[in-house]
Amino acid sequence: MENRTKHLFLTGFCLAQVMAFAPQVFAQERDDWPLIEPDVKPVPVNEALIDTENFEIGAFLGVINIEDFESSFVYGGKLTYHLSESFFFEAGIGFAEGGQTSFENLAGNVQVLTDSEREYRYYNINLGYNLLPGQAFLSENYAFNTNFYLIAGAGATEFGGDTRFTVNAGAGYQVLLTDSLAIDLGVRQHFYRIDVVGAEKTSMNTEIRTGLSVFF
Amino acid sequence: MPIVILLLMLCLPGMTWAGWLWGDDEPEQRVRVVEPFVVWRTGPAVGYPVFHSSEKGEWLTLLQRKTGWMKVRDKKGREGWVAVAAIAQTQDATGENVNLSVPDMKAFSDRKFEAGILMGEFEGSPVTAGYGGYWFTPNLAAELWGSQVLGSASEILMVNANIVHQPFPHWRVSPYFTLGVGHIWVDPKATLAVPEERDNTVGHAGLGLRAYITERYFIRAEFKDYKVFTSRSTNEEATEWKIGLSIFF
Repeated sequence: MENRTKHLFLTGFCLAQVMAFAPQVFAQERDDWPLIEPDVKPVPVNEALIDTENFEIGAFLGVINIEDFESSFVYGGKLTYHLSESFFFEAGIGFAEGGQTSFENLAGNVQVLTDSEREYRYYNINLGYNLLPGQAFLSENYAFNTNFYLIAGAGATEFGGDTRFTVNAGAGYQVLLTDSLAIDLGVRQHFYRIDVVGAEKTSMNTEIRTGLSVFF
Repeated sequence: MPIVILLLMLCLPGMTWAGWLWGDDEPEQRVRVVEPFVVWRTGPAVGYPVFHSSEKGEWLTLLQRKTGWMKVRDKKGREGWVAVAAIAQTQDATGENVNLSVPDMKAFSDRKFEAGILMGEFEGSPVTAGYGGYWFTPNLAAELWGSQVLGSASEILMVNANIVHQPFPHWRVSPYFTLGVGHIWVDPKATLAVPEERDNTVGHAGLGLRAYITERYFIRAEFKDYKVFTSRSTNEEATEWKIGLSIFF
């Protein structure tokens, strides 16, 4: 008997609940309609609007030791394309001027090369590899990304009246001041065959340089 | 004079800063992390240290891309580099996965432009050559070449135009044939007894191989046979091989 009373009471209570809630549920659905229809559609990411910075352009200056022709000031430019985080292509040009050979200095009034033949120009196309990426810390406030890279390639050198096939190899240390601006300290060795002072021999020219470059 | 050009060259990327100067009103490119987390590095390479990570549900603004890395900013203004492969697994405002084009084998088969630099030997002397090419159909392209040969006796400059036919454009390693014409300038070395400059028309045929590596680049190697049309009674012949790296768009 007690069970039956409970059953009736509970059933009645449940029914009352359902009836009380039902209109609320419907009412809520109607309330969900926005008063003003929003005019904003979700916009997908457009890859074309994201800036890609795989190219790098730069200028450098330094000192080049032109074998037999003293050391001189060298300056030039480079264009780099980053193939991946490790590999990059670099095209470079450089300008310098050869000095006097020791023979010319000792013998006095002798000229091995004319002034225009002393103009030293080179271009090269290289493949580089970022061997040691890392960070450098300047005081406790600044951290810069850095790269120690190896680079090698071939090109041509115009010197002593002729253009000579030239192989070059070297290494450098690049410090990225920002993600788009970098300074660079590098050493390059240039090799070519030359016969201007006696028998043909391999000329080894060491270049030490520092440069500034921007990514775009 | 060259130093002025160099300085101008350095200013060239300044144009890309113009947007920053004038303030660009392009919409922000935002993505939401759906994987449990993505890691941030201080620079665009795996060698740089991880210094932060974003959790599932965080929104990131995409700032710029360098090779396979994306520079991102979170809502607190922090900036760092996330692998493009990880960004490709995030969702944008539409709830869809971000649509990032990753150049692959299919892009290689569908390429329109390509350019590259090759080195090798031309009649035993080192040659450096650069080229650009345009694909009319997947099988047929036109190319323009500039080459410099630095021999022990002379310096040779060459400009060539050729058509390329590749029978199997969808192969990863794809052979091709070339046929073309050009012009050659021979400048003998100053130290030779009778330096005599001359220039001639050349015709050439060749065969080669392209091998797709990854991303946007492939290796290209080829062999060409040149016929130099001289004003003398006999024509000269020259052979050349070279190998190099190309990129495509």
